[in-house]
Amino acid sequence: MNDFSETNASAESTLAPEDRADRPPMPAFSVEERPRRQDGEPVVRSRHFSLYYGQKVGVKDITMEVYPQSVTAIIGPSGCGKSTFLRSINRMNDLIPAARAEGELLVNDINVYDKAVNLVNLRQQVGMVFQQPNPFPKSIYDNIAYGPRLQGHRSRGSLDALVERCLRSAALWDEVKDDLKKSALGLSGGQQQRLCIARALATEPKILLMDEPCSALDPIATGRIEDLIAQLKDTYTIVIVTHNMQQAARVSDRTAFLCLGELVEYGATPDIFTKPQVKQTEDYITGRFG
Amino acid sequence: MNVRLRRIANRGFTGASVLSVVLLTAALLIILGPMLFKGTTAVFFHGTVEFRKVQLHEFSRGDPAALAKEIAATEKAREPIYRLLDEFRRGIDTGRLEGEARHVYRELGKQLKHRKGVGPEERIRIRRFFRGLRNTLIDAYECTDKDEARALLKEVLSHAQDERLAGTVGERLFRMARDYQELLETFDLGKREEYAAALDEVQQAVRNLFGPEAGKSKVGMPPEDRFGAHRMDMVRRYADDLLYAETWVEVEKGRPLVKKRIPREEQFAGTTLEPLFGLFRDNVDAMFRPRFTVYWQYFLDDAVPGHYFGGVGEEILGTLTVTALAIAFAFPLGVISAAYLVEVAGDNVVVRFIRMSINTLAGVPSIVFGLFGLVFFVMLIQALSGGAHKGECVLACALTVAVLVLPVIIRASEEAIRAVPNSYKEAALALGASRLRCFVTVQLPAALPGILTGVILSLSRAAGETAPFLFVGAAATTDPLWEYAAWDWPWQQVQMLSYGAYDVAMNDRIAGMVPHQQWGMVMTLIGLVLILNILAILVRSRVSRKLRGG
Repeated sequence: MNDFSETNASAESTLAPEDRADRPPMPAFSVEERPRRQDGEPVVRSRHFSLYYGQKVGVKDITMEVYPQSVTAIIGPSGCGKSTFLRSINRMNDLIPAARAEGELLVNDINVYDKAVNLVNLRQQVGMVFQQPNPFPKSIYDNIAYGPRLQGHRSRGSLDALVERCLRSAALWDEVKDDLKKSALGLSGGQQQRLCIARALATEPKILLMDEPCSALDPIATGRIEDLIAQLKDTYTIVIVTHNMQQAARVSDRTAFLCLGELVEYGATPDIFTKPQVKQTEDYITGRFG
Repeated sequence: MNVRLRRIANRGFTGASVLSVVLLTAALLIILGPMLFKGTTAVFFHGTVEFRKVQLHEFSRGDPAALAKEIAATEKAREPIYRLLDEFRRGIDTGRLEGEARHVYRELGKQLKHRKGVGPEERIRIRRFFRGLRNTLIDAYECTDKDEARALLKEVLSHAQDERLAGTVGERLFRMARDYQELLETFDLGKREEYAAALDEVQQAVRNLFGPEAGKSKVGMPPEDRFGAHRMDMVRRYADDLLYAETWVEVEKGRPLVKKRIPREEQFAGTTLEPLFGLFRDNVDAMFRPRFTVYWQYFLDDAVPGHYFGGVGEEILGTLTVTALAIAFAFPLGVISAAYLVEVAGDNVVVRFIRMSINTLAGVPSIVFGLFGLVFFVMLIQALSGGAHKGECVLACALTVAVLVLPVIIRASEEAIRAVPNSYKEAALALGASRLRCFVTVQLPAALPGILTGVILSLSRAAGETAPFLFVGAAATTDPLWEYAAWDWPWQQVQMLSYGAYDVAMNDRIAGMVPHQQWGMVMTLIGLVLILNILAILVRSRVSRKLRGG
């Protein structure tokens, strides 16, 4: 039985260096050792926020805060409103005709559901990465430059620098730097998702929303995305929705547990996973329902 | 179902699909094959010296010196024919002979006036005498009985040595009498009427074959009369008129007469004209000097008015111009309408009505569009120009056919835009794009292959339509577009391939004479549409490959 924390240096591997098993070990399932982050002013604050699809309830009465330069995970069984809440933060729910919001949802102290809010600005400040990698059918360069071009950046030189910066941040630069004109659809699944992350970073957002970014990827790609998240959280505020509890435990600083549209418990990740306050949380974490 | 049945079913399915492909290919070959093959005769054919004459005079092509030599040679070969015809006509044309006789009499009168030593009384007497001679000759001409005519002529000639007429124009009368005497020997006077009619036919056939006689070409003649038969297949057709006559014969007593073809040798048996036909048959090559011609300029030349000579260059330009303008109008309008229907429109009565209208429009007969174009676009242009412009022009044609293809483009674009994955749209919106920029920068490029499919279908339709253009700007013969400045083009009437094919078929004057033009136009139209389609498909496949990550 292979313990993940042991290195397997004796094995001759034909995998690429970054994919080999003798790379630095992934963090073990021991959350107690994680250092606790300093909390600052919350960047996203929701007060009794509810979202309805017509008569159906999406989320109900959510009150929570997201703190800067940290990773906040939202976990819960399927259909509990995790994605709904996430998509409310950058108003992506507007695409659904019958969506109706109540309560307050403040991003940088501005209620995003206010009529006067400029959606274009909001979405540039709050980036999003989706479940299925969805690069545009354009070149890698054009994918990343899409956001900045919307903002009016035309200069070739500054765009080149920006694209390189984003690709480096997304840990994709070394793999694609030889041919940025190649079509993005020619990349592998993991590479495409990293490209989508780089694309989201190109507009220099403050907040990065990630909706189950690894669910469509194999374990090795998943691992690399998780490493990436660990690197990015020094610069960005990340909110990640995941149905994979172990992933939440691995990457996040705070975890919110949603069930049937309601916020059941929210707290520091080590606390949630080792000392959950609410029974429902404990039942979910120990796998009694899912 | 047991295994054997399943296997049979599978094989049957495969066989049916193979059979349908074979049938389709066969149908295509059967329908298109003969058309295209006959169309090539517009470009590859045996051209006569007349053809080269046309090329020199109308299109300034060819070597004048060489052509002049050829013309001289053919005229030498044709000269016997003309001679025979002339001789024969002299015998037939009593009217002319009569007129000549009277003319001689008048000339004589004038000459006598100026003659010295002839008093007025003497003059009158001579004139009276000559008049008598003239009338006798005229009687001889009009006589249908050979013996009587011979007697009359003898009487005229008995005065041939009269010294009063010596040295005057009166001697011509005697020459005429002698000529007529000679002619009588070979002539069957009873058939004079018949001969006259038949001779007219023969002469017409000769004119069709050879063109006007040297030096007899008149200004203002229609183009098909200015030159002779310029292709060997035309020569064969006219030669048929020349060498065979159609008469009605009574096969059974009391029943209607039956048409019968008889060789003209029979018709003119025994006359001086009989050898003409054998002469013609034997010397066709010398008289026409046929040469295998590759007339590739067919696609560039404009049609000498009437499509008799020349090529379809004008038509090609007209079709291309109208098609390009039509797509230029229909494409943006269609894509924007499709964008509205997919992205913006809700699901209410008005939108449903719009959709229904678009679907209905797709099935409307094209002539209805032509009438609509007449009533709307033509009248509109007329009104806007204050009556100065008739309204029928390239612009009206293009607009009419743009309306015709609009439903096709809208439908194809709608499908294509709907087929763009929603994930692209979400990604673009999440990056801060407005709905419009998202559509223009992400959805539209991704939908482009499907939209181009609609464009490809419209190209073929627009290029091949005939009915819409009947009243809105197509002309049978008009100045070629390249003679106008570019910004004047939309305001001209235009010739088009599809309309031209219809026109050549329906225009009685030249319908039967130039079937190669009809076939040529059809072949050119099919070829043009094929080329346009191939180009558009190439563009689409390039776009598609780029989108798919190639």
